[in-house]
Amino acid sequence: MKIKGSRSGLQLVFDDTADFPAIEQEIKEKLESGSNFFCRGTIIQTLPGRLQQTEKETLAKLFRQYGVILHTTIEGKSLEESVAAEKPEIQVPMQPTVQEMTVVDRTVRGGQEITSKGSVLICGNVNPGAQIIAGGSIDIRGTCRGIVHAGAYGDTKAFIIADHLMPMQIRIAGLIARSPDNVEKSSRAEKAFIKSGQIVIEPIER
Amino acid sequence: MSEVIVITSGKGGVGKTTTTANLGVGLAMRGKKVVLIDTDTGLRNLDLLLGLENRIMYDLIDVTEGRVLYKKALVRHKKYESLFLLPTSQVRDKMAVNPEQLVKLCEEMREEYDYILIDCPAGIEQGFKTAIAGADCAIVVTMPEISAVRDADKIIGELGRAEKENIKLVVNRIRPQMVKKGDMLDMDDINDILSIKCIGQVPDDEMVVTSTNRGEPVVSNEGSQAGQAYRNIVGRICGEDIPFMEFPEEGFFTKLKRVFGH
Ligand SMILES: Nc1ncnc2c1ncn2[C@@H]1O[C@H](COP(=O)(O)OP(=O)(O)OP(=O)(O)O)[C@@H](O)[C@H]1O
Ligand SMILES: [Mg+2]
Repeated sequence: MKIKGSRSGLQLVFDDTADFPAIEQEIKEKLESGSNFFCRGTIIQTLPGRLQQTEKETLAKLFRQYGVILHTTIEGKSLEESVAAEKPEIQVPMQPTVQEMTVVDRTVRGGQEITSKGSVLICGNVNPGAQIIAGGSIDIRGTCRGIVHAGAYGDTKAFIIADHLMPMQIRIAGLIARSPDNVEKSSRAEKAFIKSGQIVIEPIER
Repeated sequence: MSEVIVITSGKGGVGKTTTTANLGVGLAMRGKKVVLIDTDTGLRNLDLLLGLENRIMYDLIDVTEGRVLYKKALVRHKKYESLFLLPTSQVRDKMAVNPEQLVKLCEEMREEYDYILIDCPAGIEQGFKTAIAGADCAIVVTMPEISAVRDADKIIGELGRAEKENIKLVVNRIRPQMVKKGDMLDMDDINDILSIKCIGQVPDDEMVVTSTNRGEPVVSNEGSQAGQAYRNIVGRICGEDIPFMEFPEEGFFTKLKRVFGH
């Protein structure tokens, strides 16, 4: 099984030969490993036709226990459209409120850009020349050396977290901070947020 | 079980063609059947590095446009009998070949050869897209300097977008003294940014240049550091687990050169 990050969420891609019990087991292990890999509120999509209806339901149930929503993409439509189209069928449980979150499961390299109306979780590094723009907050499980803009639509409560926060520029809502010309690699996770009209950076525990 | 490997870099002049020639000769020295395809149409020079310029009759474009079968266009190496070059045209441009044509060609060649190495042009335009189309895996060549590493990062991103996930790194032209003084990126800095598997660390070595001029890739030179580094890469491509070599101090290095040079 492979998990691919796409603009609109995560996509599960199965190997043609893998049988369903094996897939189910693998997903279960991932969820139970507690690696926070699938965050609450994440939308997962699978390609149409790969799973039988009963199998889909089993997986959807499994994911739901962890607050993750499973959707099957409808051929030729974007995730948003297929989510809308499928709504009547799937009973979205009310417990975790689904807020839009983009999950990217790879290193974002120079020249690549991730934009999202909601928040963004990057499980990988953000390299120099890469750009992350989020309406909400940005969480980077890796080293951030690119350009990050949280609260891009004016949310001054948005923040940016990274294991090693050493971006070229940080923007939160309407504020911009440039990195000093010599950045040392920080040894602790840090959080950038707005405090009395300024972007400040503080070490955090995670 | 043949393998199609594209050698690419993003930034120009970092050593793609040198790497292609050396790996080709190195694999042939181990008895593998190898074809090298030059896709740097208009700026070909793989033939020069192999000393085969005067033997070229037909080229890649003659093959893709259907004028000759690929076997007729292949040039056999003078010394290594299992090594062949498919040169490209000096007069046409990168638009003369498209990705589908290269995919088809590689598929045909797979039946006959163990390794098909593709020398990619610099940049991320059409020529790059064509060169990577038929490849199972990519070797990204970079140099220990910021701009080359940035471009390598971009290329790795582009390869990912083209669903080429098997990517290996070769760092070329390392100067141990400069790395030591902090004037050149070290391997940790490079791995930290690129985060792909490194299969080669090649020192800057003037024997690379002198052997290029003779049309004899340095990999066959027992006394050269760079030659040893290329032989190690060849071994790793063949699945051997070879530790990275230590670069000796400058003093020893220059002495070596004096003893074995020319
Ligand atoms: N390890 C090395 N030590 C010294 N010189 C080197 C080394 N590797 C390459 N060179 C020299 O660097 C120059 C550029 O190498 P090469 O032509 O292989 O690069 P390239 O990436 O193919 O360039 P292009 O982008 O133009 O195709 C050549 O003159 C070559 O001899
Ligand atoms: Mg070249």
